[in-house]
Amino acid sequence: MGEVSVDNKSDEKSRSERPVDPLIVDREGHAAFILGNEAIVRGALEAGVAFACGYPGTPSSEITDTFARLAPQLGITFEYSINEKIALEMAFAASLAGARSIVAMKHLGLMYAGDPLATIPYIGTVGGMVIVSAGDPSCMTSPNEQDQRPVASMLHIPVLDPGTAQEALELTRFAFELSERSHLPVILRPTTRVCHTRAEVTFGQMRKREVRGFTRDPSHLVPIPAHARKLRAEVDERLEIARDELRRSGFLRRSGNAKTMIVAAGVPAAVCADILREQDCDDSVSLLRLGAPFPLPESWLVEELQRVDRVLVVEELLPFVEDTVLRLCAQNALRVDVFGKRTGHLPTRYEYTPELIGAAMHDALGIDYAPATPTEHVPTPVRAPTLCAACPHRGAFFAARAAFGNDVLFFNDIGCYTLGFGEPLDSADALLSMGAGFTLAAGVSRTTGQKTVGFMGDSTFFHSGMPALLNAIKEGVDMVAVIMDNEVTAMTGFQESPSAEIEKGRIQRRVDLAGVVRALGAERVEVVDPNDLAVTVAAFRKARETEGLSVIITERPCPVFTQRIGDAAVMEEPCQSVEAKAATTYTIDHDLCQHCGRQACGHRCGQSATHAFEQAMARARSLENGVPVAPVEVAPCASACPLFLCVQGYAAHIASGDYAAALELIMAGLPLPSSVCRVCHRPCEVACVRADQDEPVAINDLKRFVVDWADAQEEFPYAPTLEPEHGRHVAVVGAGPCGLAAAHELRLRGYAVTVYDSDAEPGGLLLTGVPRYRLPLDVLRRDVARIRATGVEFVGERRLGGDLHLDELVEQHDAVLLAIGTSRSRSLELDGPDGSEGPELVDALAYLRSSRGSGAATGRHVVVIGGGNSAIDSARTALRSGAERVVIACLESRAELPAIRSEIAEAAQEGIEIRTRVCAVRRTADGIELVGVEPRVEGRFDPDNFQPVAGTENVVPADQVIVAIGQTVDRAAFGNGNTLDWHDGRLAVDSTTLATPRRGVFASGDLAPGDGTVTGAIATGLRAAWGIDRAMRGNDAADRRPPPPPARASAGSVRPGVERIDRAGRQRPPELDEAARRSSFDEVTGTLDEASARAEAARCMICGACGNCRSCIDLFGCPAFFVDGNKPQISEDLCVACGVCAQFCPNGAIKPVEVEA
Amino acid sequence: MTFRVVIAGVGGQGVLVAARVLGSAARYADFDARVGQLHGMAQRGGSVEGTVVIGRGSTAFIGPGDADVVLGLEPLETQRALPRMSDRTEVLMNERPVALATLTQRGVEYPELGTILQRVRGVTERVHTLDARSIAERAGSPRTLNVVMLGLLAGLDFLPFVENALARAVDAQSPERLVDINRRAYQLGRESAAGTRGVAGS
Repeated sequence: MGEVSVDNKSDEKSRSERPVDPLIVDREGHAAFILGNEAIVRGALEAGVAFACGYPGTPSSEITDTFARLAPQLGITFEYSINEKIALEMAFAASLAGARSIVAMKHLGLMYAGDPLATIPYIGTVGGMVIVSAGDPSCMTSPNEQDQRPVASMLHIPVLDPGTAQEALELTRFAFELSERSHLPVILRPTTRVCHTRAEVTFGQMRKREVRGFTRDPSHLVPIPAHARKLRAEVDERLEIARDELRRSGFLRRSGNAKTMIVAAGVPAAVCADILREQDCDDSVSLLRLGAPFPLPESWLVEELQRVDRVLVVEELLPFVEDTVLRLCAQNALRVDVFGKRTGHLPTRYEYTPELIGAAMHDALGIDYAPATPTEHVPTPVRAPTLCAACPHRGAFFAARAAFGNDVLFFNDIGCYTLGFGEPLDSADALLSMGAGFTLAAGVSRTTGQKTVGFMGDSTFFHSGMPALLNAIKEGVDMVAVIMDNEVTAMTGFQESPSAEIEKGRIQRRVDLAGVVRALGAERVEVVDPNDLAVTVAAFRKARETEGLSVIITERPCPVFTQRIGDAAVMEEPCQSVEAKAATTYTIDHDLCQHCGRQACGHRCGQSATHAFEQAMARARSLENGVPVAPVEVAPCASACPLFLCVQGYAAHIASGDYAAALELIMAGLPLPSSVCRVCHRPCEVACVRADQDEPVAINDLKRFVVDWADAQEEFPYAPTLEPEHGRHVAVVGAGPCGLAAAHELRLRGYAVTVYDSDAEPGGLLLTGVPRYRLPLDVLRRDVARIRATGVEFVGERRLGGDLHLDELVEQHDAVLLAIGTSRSRSLELDGPDGSEGPELVDALAYLRSSRGSGAATGRHVVVIGGGNSAIDSARTALRSGAERVVIACLESRAELPAIRSEIAEAAQEGIEIRTRVCAVRRTADGIELVGVEPRVEGRFDPDNFQPVAGTENVVPADQVIVAIGQTVDRAAFGNGNTLDWHDGRLAVDSTTLATPRRGVFASGDLAPGDGTVTGAIATGLRAAWGIDRAMRGNDAADRRPPPPPARASAGSVRPGVERIDRAGRQRPPELDEAARRSSFDEVTGTLDEASARAEAARCMICGACGNCRSCIDLFGCPAFFVDGNKPQISEDLCVACGVCAQFCPNGAIKPVEVEA
Repeated sequence: MTFRVVIAGVGGQGVLVAARVLGSAARYADFDARVGQLHGMAQRGGSVEGTVVIGRGSTAFIGPGDADVVLGLEPLETQRALPRMSDRTEVLMNERPVALATLTQRGVEYPELGTILQRVRGVTERVHTLDARSIAERAGSPRTLNVVMLGLLAGLDFLPFVENALARAVDAQSPERLVDINRRAYQLGRESAAGTRGVAGS
């Protein structure tokens, strides 16, 4: 079945006969099984209604819908009015024209119609006029649960409260009589339970429609003040007539004759009747049912109250009747106990359930009502309504999010698009009332000066959005007004919208929406198909870049509606960018979905997608321009990283605030994080695709933020998992970063490890070569301590070639890893003046070593020769050690300097002079002579490639010259044995396993081919550990932890064509002020604070394919998607092949498929 | 005598149609009946509940522990109706879930079918489950799931009136082109009643 029968055919009739709508069976006493709302329509028909109108709104919508269906065949004039105010005025006009009229709306609409409503009682109705204002206690489908009765009493309008479908029919029919006799409009106030309950209703006779015509009567019909004052008195007379009519109506009726009485109205009256009957209390408790709470005939009510001594008043929402009862008792000195809301027996909010009423009857009146013992509460996940599959609003919200990111406030409105609220579309920062989407956006923009976005549908735009837009245009508000035109009032059940009407089963355009908007004075108006993401995102981006008011109309008919009316033509008109027009569903290619590019190298992380991570990733992806881009296997930053760290992973974790997960990703590939995040040469930042737009992401600072956060925790929040020991023992020679990393890695693999070093303390270059202002000693010691805590044994003050011999090591261990660094500086021959006066010549390594990072014997005027990190470190150390002037002289141009960029910049900032393209010629008595040089061949840097430029000689004063032109390995340490081969200053090794030709001996770091960086050395250490493991335990065991693949520095040139829309600038960590730097070895660069780190992390574009991606779920939220074992899937049942998801899937995994009909 | 049926499901499953059909059936059998519906946003995949109260009375409320039958068109929605169940409630449940992305987004897991069943059995042993979705597909359209469930209700013979009133109501409420397919679904559901009896309580 599933499908609702549209024509609601009579089930009483044989199918072959011409169907007669059950509501218009003109037979008194005929019983039909109909909704309360349908009963209201029947009541109006029985009253001979000639004009009907309204604005749809749950729970009233079926009233107008039913009139829409029946009006043509009954000759009733009907319209879906543009809004409730207009509807009310139309119905009043019909009344003035001598017709009985009815207007339907929900409770909210009555307030919108408040202006004409307040004056109608003065002028007075002619034909009976009934206003149906359906209430919604408990806010089941509304933003509030207002009680219309005080409003009605304030405006002198009678109110009728049906409690059942039968009452709804009868009260509606009576309302016309009441209105005609009192000349007041009458409000009929059914609630959700009446409107939407289907019950058997017995019909009365249909009455003939009659239109008596308009009679001129200016003294009544034109309420100029002079008339209004006179009319005011007439209003009171009319109310008295109404009171009298009500008294005689039979809708204020009592059953029973007891001393205890329940006074009830609306649905609670029906519930009370049921309970009294079920509990057999009909004799002991009377029930006074008020079909009309206003205006009550007071003398009658006093008589009723005089008969009893206890009263319980049961009415939903405000104590309206109860207060009248209390007042009458007081005025008439009646000795009656009045129970209800004022005595706390009943609440003043929410719907009254039978249990609640029963409990009050028990508590106040002692009626035997035993509520069922509730079963244990089991929390059940809320199944929130969502925008339908293929809903065009989804594309519109997605595009707006993509263009505006998270920085702009979104104001939403009343309709289907309200479902843009919450994750993942998150398109409602505030919501108020019909049309307020634009006014809220305008008001906030005008107040804060920041651009805002307002959303509303076509029907809402015509309802009350037009004046709101005009107001914004008039004030030139900086906002984007989005009209989501789906050509129908979808939320309330597909009523026609002014922008389209249905003719012969097809949607026909009627009002030109864009034309209206332009006519209002909007200058920038774009009409887009929201299912074409590229075009829609582009429109939003343009609006973002343009100051002032832009209007975007997203135009696409509601697919549910078009399907329903069978308008095949509309559905067959696919948008341009959906490739497969014949597709009837889409599917996910799971080879591509959640494909991690690092997987191929065995580096896929074991993390599952946490919700927070996904939010961060979804946020980052939503900032892309929505155009399908070829997914990048591995993000360029990771490819360029010698350690292959998953930067986008830890960036997303940082952005989401999950620092422990970020730490896990870092520690999994980097055993010395505290040191490396201070000394790394950052090839990742060179490769970062973000650089194309503004500046690369501060990847190193992010890593440092996480590591420093972790170090600040009481317990370090990461502990590596060690394989069980298997008895094999490896000696590592050299406790520098490479040796330590290798030792740690070997421990993880279950090896016993002894590390030997010539120094008493582990650290190698990090200890003796890197100044403390870059790497404080305690930071290094934290890394070392963590490594030693895994069980690495350290033996200090043993020098290879001194008291440590390779042959012995080989004999005593299963394998030996040589990881000693360069210890000899390249020397520079510089002739000095005669008498060997002139500046002292020292080599940089010795200078830095003597400093141990915190100060060395230094001259007043220092010249450093060289352009690498040692040169910069030496110069900055010299400055801090008291040198008055420090000059760096090097062959390289500024761009060619091999030192870390930020170090060069900091050195210059500290006042160190850097002379590039110069060569030291000789020492003089009080300085050093430099000469300008130029390369013989442009391009590749080669020290032998330079020739002096004549006439550029000059002398720089110096009393100390530090030579920092490179370092080499001390080959003497290895003895004269021929067991090892040397090649180009390094040991010959197998490039994959780093094994030397000598069995059981491996080499890494400066001994093996590499980039000479700390990070690169660590990578070789990890690789050597893997190589050793392969040799010892075989490939299978070793490959469970593969080494980082060789870094591909050129990866930066392969950049995805993603354009970033957010313009958040790079965050910078704090720095020590310059004066302090000259005099101390305190750390120069600080750590990003948490807010900056999260902001910086959010700049990451997550450009590599991620195995944890669920963007379709977390970004798009289409109900056709579901998750099965963490894998996104598309439900064939629900997918209607709009193809929008395929347009943005980051992995290009969503593909159309044809399903056989 | 008052007989109360809660029909629970998800928007699009035909909860309200099933409720209306059951209400009409009661009238064919000369019972008074009322059908209530809570369907704020029924079109949009939210929870939908229909109540059918058969017998004398004015409203369609079904209070805590008051359901004689819970017709669960979806497992999680069946669980949602738990407060209305008592140890004498017959629970008829389609065991094929409608998993929604909106559930998983919030990090909320859809409970295991076994867990849902255990929770329901914690209240009543009278549980009858079947894969109504497969049966509906066999009948010719997954959209006849609601009719399959009505057929099951008829087959288990829990209704206080003769079964052919329900068959007649299904016929009468079917659009012409769906009459045959709905009849088939109803019949298959009815026949599967024998199978579910064995499942009850297991």
